[in-house]
Amino acid sequence: MKGKYYIQGLAAITPQHTFEGNLFSQPLVSTGSNVFAVTEPDYKTFIPANSLRRISRLLKMGLTTALKCMQDSGLSVPDAIVTGTGKGSLQDTERFLKDIRQYEERALNPTPFIQSTYNAVNGMIAVQQQVTTYNNTFVHRGFSFESALLDSMLLLEEGVSHTLTGAFDEISAEHFYIKSRIGHWKKEMVNSAELYNHLSPGTISGEGAVFFTLTAAPTAQSYARVAGLKMLYKPSLTALTTGLATFLSQYGLSAKDIDLVITGRNGDNNFEHYYRQLDLGLPQVSQLPFKHLCGEYETVGAFALWLGAHMLKAQQVPQQWFPMVSQFPATLNRILIYNHFFGDQHTFILLERTAAPAV
Amino acid sequence: MEDLKQKLKVQIIEALNLQDTRPEDIDDNAPLFGEGLGLDSIDSLELMVLLERHYQIKVEDPREGRKILQSVQSMAEFIQSKQPA
Repeated sequence: MKGKYYIQGLAAITPQHTFEGNLFSQPLVSTGSNVFAVTEPDYKTFIPANSLRRISRLLKMGLTTALKCMQDSGLSVPDAIVTGTGKGSLQDTERFLKDIRQYEERALNPTPFIQSTYNAVNGMIAVQQQVTTYNNTFVHRGFSFESALLDSMLLLEEGVSHTLTGAFDEISAEHFYIKSRIGHWKKEMVNSAELYNHLSPGTISGEGAVFFTLTAAPTAQSYARVAGLKMLYKPSLTALTTGLATFLSQYGLSAKDIDLVITGRNGDNNFEHYYRQLDLGLPQVSQLPFKHLCGEYETVGAFALWLGAHMLKAQQVPQQWFPMVSQFPATLNRILIYNHFFGDQHTFILLERTAAPAV
Repeated sequence: MEDLKQKLKVQIIEALNLQDTRPEDIDDNAPLFGEGLGLDSIDSLELMVLLERHYQIKVEDPREGRKILQSVQSMAEFIQSKQPA
């Protein structure tokens, strides 16, 4: 895809202080519990009290992030709402399943069932903003956000003026336990700030909600341009290398044209070989790992895109968040994001400065 | 009856997550929907579930439900009428 897709607004609720204020002066938040929970804002400013009492945590996070994103872009009614989630509202799903067992499939409360459906956040945004246009939620594990992004790019290609594109996922104690049984998390407790020094099986879990307003035309306020997207399912190391080279050459680029790579490195030695393979394909290119900021979850790619867009607009890196990195690039024209979800879903996203010089 | 109404108020607050409401804020005869607590149709479903879970009473007829859920007083009277003498 060679179209032009611009990030016009964005917002994020993550374990870091990302919802308000200047991110370049926010301190690094860390955890020692292997579960990285989001820093929640005051939802009352965004959601009426009568709705707030009924909706669960992930819905509050998703809806509030979407509303903040629209505020940031000056848009109140997007042409399309497209999101991705790996798990939807776990809190509601768990409550509903527990109720089924406890009340022997009788006297079931409808609210957690309604809210446990994956498209509940989209529905709430549409109701609150009176949006009756295209509305879609993708649930494809580690490709969930990227599928939403691809769909948004296709919509813009077809002539839609703007899309509200986002991702949201939460972690619960029960889900953390379930995933620990299949080896997703480290057995030893690790401080998130030291994640990359603890190469061992598993990583730390995370959560977050991130939204973008995408448009087909840039403005002075645009953060960055989404220049390309590629998804690879369970590639071999050779296919990964070839995939990267093909992806860059598709845009007339090579490794030397990339100023920074945001990598999904997460201290999990079961899948570290993919990142090492990437190092070989991008020698001498500065790298920023980001999972020590937000943990691992299906739609974490949205966090990387949010971070990259901010850096391209501000032409700086929030250096206080990266004590493990000694050198940062002086200028940022092109950022490559590479992430994979436990070795299965691999994604490349190419992000450019809005007025990046031609190659 | 007074004990039942008090218990019912606590259960309503918990079931509907009425965070800023205390049992003493709910008038026995005040309408639960529209004015009063300002509840809506989803809340009415939750109150039906409350009756089934806590009092093993299933309201089958929606028209009957409308009368029962008018106020805490009407709910308490209905519950009492269904309990064995």
